[in-house]
Order: sequence, then structure tokens, then C-alpha cells
Amino acid sequence: MTTVDMRYTGSALDRVEGLEKVTGRARYAFENFPADLVYAVPVQAAIARGEIRAVDVDAVLEHPGVIAAIWYGNAPRLVPSDNADLAVFQSRRVAYRGQYIAVVVAETYEEAKEAARLLRVEYAAEDHDVRLRADHPNMYRPEKVNPNYPTDTEHGDPDTALTVAPVLVDATYSTPAEHNNPMEPHATVAEWDGDALTLYDSTQGASGVRDTVAPLFGVPPANVRVISPHVGGGFGSKGGPSPYVIIAALAARHVGRPVKLAVTRQQMFAVTGYRTPTIQRVRLGANADGRLTAIVHDAFEQSSTITEFAEQTTTPTRIMYAAPHRRTTHRLVRLDVPTPSWMRAPGECPGMFALESAMDELAIACQIDPVELRIRNEPDADPESGLPFSSRNLVACLREGARRFGWADRDPAPGVRRRDRLLIGTGVAASTYPVYRRPSQATAQAHRDGRFTVRIAAADIGTGARTVLTQIAADTLRTSPDQVLVEIGDSALPAASLAGGSMGTASWGTAVVRACEALVEGLDRRDGDLPAAGMESSADTTEEIGAQRRLSRHAFGAQFAEVGVDTDTGETRVLRLLGVFAAGRIINPKTARSQFIGGMTMGLSMALFEESIMDLEFGDYLNRDLAQYHVAACADVRDIEALWVEEDDPHLNPMGTKGIGEIGIVGTAAAVANAVHHATGVRIRDLPIRLDKLMR
Amino acid sequence: MSKAMSMDFLRPMTWAEALAAKAADPEARPILGGTDVMVELNFDRSRPSALLDLTAIPELAEWELRDGVVRLGAGVPYSRIITELGDLLPGLAIASRTVGSPQIRNRATVGGNLGSASPAGDAHPALLAAGAEVEVESVRGVRIIAVDEFFLGPKRSALQPGELIRAIGIPVTGGPQQFSKIGTRNAMVIAVCSFGIALHPAQRRVGTGIGSAAPTPLRAHAAEEFLGAELDWDGPLDRAVANRFGELVAAAASPIDDVRGTAAYRRHALSVLARRTLTWSWEEYRCV
Ligand SMILES: Cc1cc2nc3c(=O)[nH]c(=O)nc-3n(C[C@H](O)[C@H](O)[C@H](O)COP(=O)(O)OP(=O)(O)OC[C@H]3O[C@@H](n4cnc5c(N)ncnc54)[C@H](O)[C@@H]3O)c2cc1C
Repeated sequence: MTTVDMRYTGSALDRVEGLEKVTGRARYAFENFPADLVYAVPVQAAIARGEIRAVDVDAVLEHPGVIAAIWYGNAPRLVPSDNADLAVFQSRRVAYRGQYIAVVVAETYEEAKEAARLLRVEYAAEDHDVRLRADHPNMYRPEKVNPNYPTDTEHGDPDTALTVAPVLVDATYSTPAEHNNPMEPHATVAEWDGDALTLYDSTQGASGVRDTVAPLFGVPPANVRVISPHVGGGFGSKGGPSPYVIIAALAARHVGRPVKLAVTRQQMFAVTGYRTPTIQRVRLGANADGRLTAIVHDAFEQSSTITEFAEQTTTPTRIMYAAPHRRTTHRLVRLDVPTPSWMRAPGECPGMFALESAMDELAIACQIDPVELRIRNEPDADPESGLPFSSRNLVACLREGARRFGWADRDPAPGVRRRDRLLIGTGVAASTYPVYRRPSQATAQAHRDGRFTVRIAAADIGTGARTVLTQIAADTLRTSPDQVLVEIGDSALPAASLAGGSMGTASWGTAVVRACEALVEGLDRRDGDLPAAGMESSADTTEEIGAQRRLSRHAFGAQFAEVGVDTDTGETRVLRLLGVFAAGRIINPKTARSQFIGGMTMGLSMALFEESIMDLEFGDYLNRDLAQYHVAACADVRDIEALWVEEDDPHLNPMGTKGIGEIGIVGTAAAVANAVHHATGVRIRDLPIRLDKLMR
Repeated sequence: MSKAMSMDFLRPMTWAEALAAKAADPEARPILGGTDVMVELNFDRSRPSALLDLTAIPELAEWELRDGVVRLGAGVPYSRIITELGDLLPGLAIASRTVGSPQIRNRATVGGNLGSASPAGDAHPALLAAGAEVEVESVRGVRIIAVDEFFLGPKRSALQPGELIRAIGIPVTGGPQQFSKIGTRNAMVIAVCSFGIALHPAQRRVGTGIGSAAPTPLRAHAAEEFLGAELDWDGPLDRAVANRFGELVAAAASPIDDVRGTAAYRRHALSVLARRTLTWSWEEYRCV
């Protein structure tokens, strides 16, 4: 496999659009104002289950500025698809409280908002069921789990192995529902021109939105253009079109004018996805020396009644540790709740909280250092598929982290280290994330003035994608980054996979390298003599990726945390957080560090704060804003560092990269919970680690 | 345009004009930093007939020291209390540091905190402990309300129609003061519970203020009386006294369970905060 000659890859290039962003010139979805623009404000269901009897459209049409009110009763029909969430206003049924059931369109935002508030909706409410429990009678086994993994796996005879194991850990962990809160809430501006639709949207994948939206309106994908040059964070919640996009397009078509629709922060807690709450039972059987004989990991989760989203919670357990007898399962119950979706490291993140907490409990049961315990259970090959790992440097991360963190002389006794009012403790957890790569296309164009333009419908959701693609292109084109313009964020550009699954750089980078290589070859053939129009080459990586060798490809890491817990009040502060990662080649140390520590900060936030509280009576999430849904503030993040070990893996892609967007969040919460146990002797198995849980 | 959608914006340049405007339209909503008002408008929790912007009135943004009392204009932001009044009003300055974020502290004011009268307002425990008085005024005249008579219920105060808060009179106690707040995170947080304490050495008295643990901020009267009787002002702090003080403070509260914490936790934490802040204050008192 060819690899890129590194000159600019590996260097800490500043964000290429940094100046545009800090000066406010970067234009986000909401900031588009086509002529004749009108505003749409959607209405949310006020019941958690039942039917809409009637909507008093005529009454709101009397209000100033109101152009239309649309609901099931008068909405145009969409082409049926298998995504029930996107079938907006196509049924009388209410599947969850907060579901968009109508929309008001008016000349101004304020007029639309006021009319939406006044819109009278008559319901026939039915009893709802919104409480996840492992013994729910309607728990079932989904066909597969996200995105396409087997639901259950089993090897050997785990039940017998657990019965005879000299050491047994059997514990149940739970994680609450959590909501993505990107800085930029979701927004879209939809404009029809005949049968052609333009969407200015805040999305993680312009090509994907186009391909999903077009068929719903019965138009070919070529008729839909999705423009999304800048995105203020997504974390999965902007992975595909949410209902609001369809509503904007439907409303624009209905009123014959461009429509702007901005989802509010409060609405996001019902309509843009969230991390399912999980209940997880982990059983570990081991010999006295800590060597695992059996691993069983069972997860229970929820989805809505209209869409099955089954998070792959136990999949990391399939690859983490060696053990001859093993089983992983997922069970799902469909409740009257909003549809869960992707949230940074769906599956790996909650799953590794449970597994890595259980490993800590096993280390204590066996009286083995938790770093050593993990090293002792390091597999030679993928423990379930038997495939070789393309590279696996978990042990290097653990060792390097232990050295940097000052782990060596750690006294394992819990609850004995005091500093003033604080009980101090340290904890470790492993981290992992799969290496994905999806087919993409790209073009590279040489201009007469020596400059180049590279085009691909990639997305930069704040990650630095535009910058690293510029570096990759510059090196492949044997030029410098300031000679390369990378155009992304527009479905009119060559089709690309979405910014998700931490696969952006790998997928897009491969396409960019191939397009640039082809261009360089072409230029070399012509001896640099360019036609007036310049010269362009293109690439499509479908074949290359389809032909890639079957290997077990994953990134790994180790998270170390030190906490101080106030002995009298239970206030927990993370004093230090260190993550060491093995994620292939790092293209830009500056943007990479931001990705790692951003993920780790979210992990800290998950450990201590984040929790969407279901209101059982009304059936929706109660804490619907940033004053009540707490994410970590700067003052909570005191000393955070991310490092990486050299990893040279030739089996990945031309750049030699693994994804780094999500691994930072994986394992962090377990490291913190393990540190809290070390500090206090109290094992918190149900996140978040609230103060009152430590004092009860 | 319908009436429901319009709102006047009044910007008096003098205090007299402000009082007149408020008298003319008692529903007009005063606004200082706007950090509560704008949130309410944004969430459509209220629709005042008018906004009465008080930020152009110079004297509201001033403070003066006279006869051992700081007369703090209602519109002095927390950031200035921190930089200018740390020596005179240490308890309020400590509390001010825990409010929101730098941006919020630059705009938000004690007048606004009182105007909102939230049980969780962070200025309140410090004002209660110091024995502050709220100076309110209308075209009918001035009233002075002791701060522990100011809070009538959750978000309800003793302000009468037409009245505006002009200033807060806060005695300089000349003794140590402390404030402590428990939050689920380290900044930008509504208190789970909070506690303020002020030693009044000249009067051999200790003032207290409890936040976020009852329908209103309140003093722990029994705890104050207990210390009045039991404290040996010339000796070290007796641990048993500090513990009993903590218990009495906790007993004065009537907390509830909510998303920020359980009632049992709040009571426990209050006793810890009370004991702790008394101990810190006493150490400081004994050192000077
Ligand atoms: C992000 C954020 C974080 C926050 N964090 C905290 C915190 O940590 N601790 C805390 O206590 N609060 C906090 N708050 C709430 C708020 O900042 C405080 O209550 C602040 O003291 C309000 O002051 P203001 O000047 O902004 O008041 P405004 O919003 O201007 O007014 C508040 C209320 O007082 C009334 N009012 C204003 N001036 C007068 C007057 N002269 N006479 C009569 N009534 C008047 C208004 O009509 C309104 O009802 C926070 C708010 C936000 C948005």
C-alpha cells in the first residue's frame, strides 16, 4: 500500500478556516437568508401516547403574519420510507411527548412562535410506558445492533465457566439517558425551485442528507442540494436528517417560499436523538491470578415505538480481553419515548463504563494492580473472530500512561488517602474504538497559477477535518498547504461518507490521496504543462475499500484519573485526567489533542453530571436546558492531558490513521468511577456520580 | 399588531423618572443586568407590558460608605463587588465570586437578585448574615425593609406595586464572614444549598443565612441564639458547639427533593457548611 510522504501531515497546522470562524464570517445554516424567507416553528406533542383528534388550523391563520399551519390533516403526503421518524405529519399517532406534530409558518420568527404556542390541538391520550427496566415483559432481541453488528455472540460454555471460576465478579451497572448538546443547535433553511430543493443544513453528512431527503419528496437525489460548510458540533446528533429537516422542506413546498426552521435547545431534548439509558450486567470469571476464564456482558436498552435503534453496547467486550468462554447480548424494549440515536461513541462509551468498572472490581477481588490485570488478559488475536489485529497497542498505552501518571507506587487500599478535607483516589480504565472506513469520492484540480482545489462532500463539524484534508492533499500533491483549497460541506461535491464513526479522515483522506495521486501522475505525464482550464482528476474508493484485507482493526487507549472527594459533602472533583492513545498516525497534533481532550471532557461530564431525567408522569425529559442538564464547565476540568504512542500500522489507509473523534470519551467515566472507589471505598455503579449517592 | 405582541421599552435617565414610570405602569418590568429578565422573556414565562431599563441611572451603579454601612446601589454588578468591596463586605464578595460565570458577574446585580427573590439567589445568605436592609422607593416614598422580612415565598418579595429597589444597606460588621455553596459542578450552577455567616464581634452575635433549602432564603434563628449564648468570644471554638450549631442550622431548613439533590442530602450538607464556615470564621477571628 502506498503511503503519503509526510511533510505537512504530522505538523500542527492551524485550522485553515480559523480566521473565518473567529471573525464571524463563517456562515452557519441559520445565517442564510434567501429572498422571501419565512419562518417555521414546529409544535410538539403534549401527550406521550395517543392520537391527534383535531388541530384548529383556522384559528391561528387569523393571527398576524401567519401563512400556514400544517399537520396530518392537511399535510402533503410523503413517499413512504422505512424511517418512521422522518414520516412527519403522516399519521395521527403520537409516539412520544415532544414529537413534532404540526408546524406553523409565518412572516417572522416571533409571529410563527406565537401562533405555534396558541395552536389548539385536541388529543385522545392513552396510558404511556416510559420506564426502562431490565425485567420489562416486552424486552426482545433485535435482529442486529447499530450499525450492523450481531445482536448476541457466544463462544465456549460461559455459564459453566462462571460456576466453576475461583473468582467471580457479578455486578449490574447503569447509565442514564444523555443528550448531545452541540454549541450550535440544529437548523435548516429549505428552498424549492420547481422540483429542486436546496437545504442549508447543519449536518454531519451532506451526501447522506441528500440521499435520505430526496426519495421522501419523490425527486431524484440530483435534485437536492445540501449546503453545510460549517457545523458547530454534532457528536452524532446531526448524523442523518432529523424530522426538522423534513418539516422545513415540506413547509417550504407547501407555502411556496423558502423556510427557515431552528430547533431550540429545549426541543433538542425530544427531537434530535440521545443516548439510550442502559442497564448492564457484567459477569467475569477468573483464576486467582486474574486470568479471565469467562466474560458475560448483557445490555438492556430502550427505543421508541416507531423506530428501532439498538445501541451496540456490549460490542467492545467482544474484542477487549482474552477468555475462552464468553457471551454478549443486547435486549431492547420499545417504549413511548423519543427515538435514541448516536451520541459520541454509541455502544463503546456506555459499554466500556460497565466492563472497565467490572475489571476494576476484579482487580480488587484478585488483589492485582488494575493495570497489570489488563495486561495479563491481553489477547494475541481478536478473541471472538480469531482475526489478527492490524495493530494493538493497549499495553503500550497502559504502560506509558502508568509511567506518566505516577502509578507505580499506588497503594490499592480504598478510602485511606486524605488531603485536607478531600479523600484522594486514582483509577484507570482501558479505551477502544473500531476503525471504520467507507467509500468516498474526491476530485483534485490543478490551476495554472500553481494552486490546487480538492473537492469532497466531507463535513467539518469542528473537528479540524478541513485542515487535515488540506495537509494530506498538500503532501500528496507535493506542495504546501497554502497552495491547496479544500472544498467540503456541499452535496454538489463528490459524494462522501458522513462525519461519524470516527471514520472521516480515513474515508475522505483515502479518496483525497487517490485523487491527488492521479492528478500528480497526470501532471507528470504532461511534464507540468497545463492546459488553460487546468486539469482535474477524480477518485472513487469503493473498490479499494471493498478489497481491503479482513483484519480486526481498532484503536486503543488508557485513561487515568485522580479525584478528590469531599469527605463531608460528597463533592467530587477530577483533579487530573490523562489519556494515552494508540490511534495510528496523528496527522495534526493540535487538532488531534483537541479531539482527545474534548472526548475526555465529555467522559468526565458523563461520570459526574450528565443525566436526562425522565418525568414518569408526563413522559418526557425534565431537565431540558443547559441550566439543568449539566455538562462540565471549564472550572470542572483542571488538569487534562492527552498523549499518543507511536503506531505504525500499514493495514489501514494511505495515511496510516485510525479514528480519534470518539475514543477520548470511551473509558473515561470508568476511570473516574474507579478513582472514586479508590478514594472513598464507595462503588458507584449507576452514573452519574451525584453527590447524594456518595453520602447515602 | 395585536396587543399581546407589543412591549414598551422605557429608559429613564433619572431615578425620579424611573419612579414616575413605575407609578404610571406598575406592571412595567424593571431590568438591570437582565440575566433573569431576559431568560424569562426568552422562555415566554412572562409578558410584561413594558421593560423599565434602569441601567442609565448613575446612582444605581454607585456605592458609598457612611456610618459603618455600605449603601450599595441596586445596579452594582457582582464583578465590581468582588474587586471593590472585598474588604468591607467579605461575605457578599465571596458569594459574588460563586455567581455564574465572568460574563454573568459583569452584568448581574444584587438588586436583580433581590428582585427575583429566588430561594437559590447567592447574594441572599450573605445579606441575611450581615443584617442588611433593602431600601425601596416609590412615588409614595421610601421604605426600609430588613432583608429577613423581604422574602415572602418562592420568587415573592415584600415589594409593593410601584416600588423599585434603590439600594441595599449592608452594615460593615468588622468581623470575619464566610459563604459556602454546594453545586453539582464547579461553576455556572444553581446552589444545591448554600450558607452564609457573619461574626458581629461588637455585638457578640453571629448572623446566618440559608439558601436553596426552604421556600425562601432565611436566617437560622435558633442557631444564632444558641451561639449567642454558648460562644466564648475569648477562647477557641468548642467542637461540640460547632457541631450543635450545624445541627440547628440544618433544622431551620425545610428542603425538598429535586433534580439537584435530595432533601436529606441538603440537610446533611447544610450542617457541614454551617460547621465549616463557623470554624473558618472563628480561626480568622482568633488570628486578628
Ligand atoms: C447563566 C446564568 C447563571 C446564573 N448563575 C447564578 C448564580 O450562580 N447565582 C445566582 O444567585 N444567580 C445566578 N443567576 C441568576 C441571575 O444572574 C441573578 O439572579 C442576578 O443577581 C440577577 O441580576 P440582574 O441584574 O441580571 O437582574 P435582572 O434580570 O435585570 O432582574 C431580575 C429581577 O429583578 C427585578 N428588578 C431588577 N431591578 C430591580 C429594581 N431596581 N427594583 C425592583 N426590581 C428589580 C426584575 O424585574 C426581575 O424580576 C444566573 C443567571 C444566568 C443566566
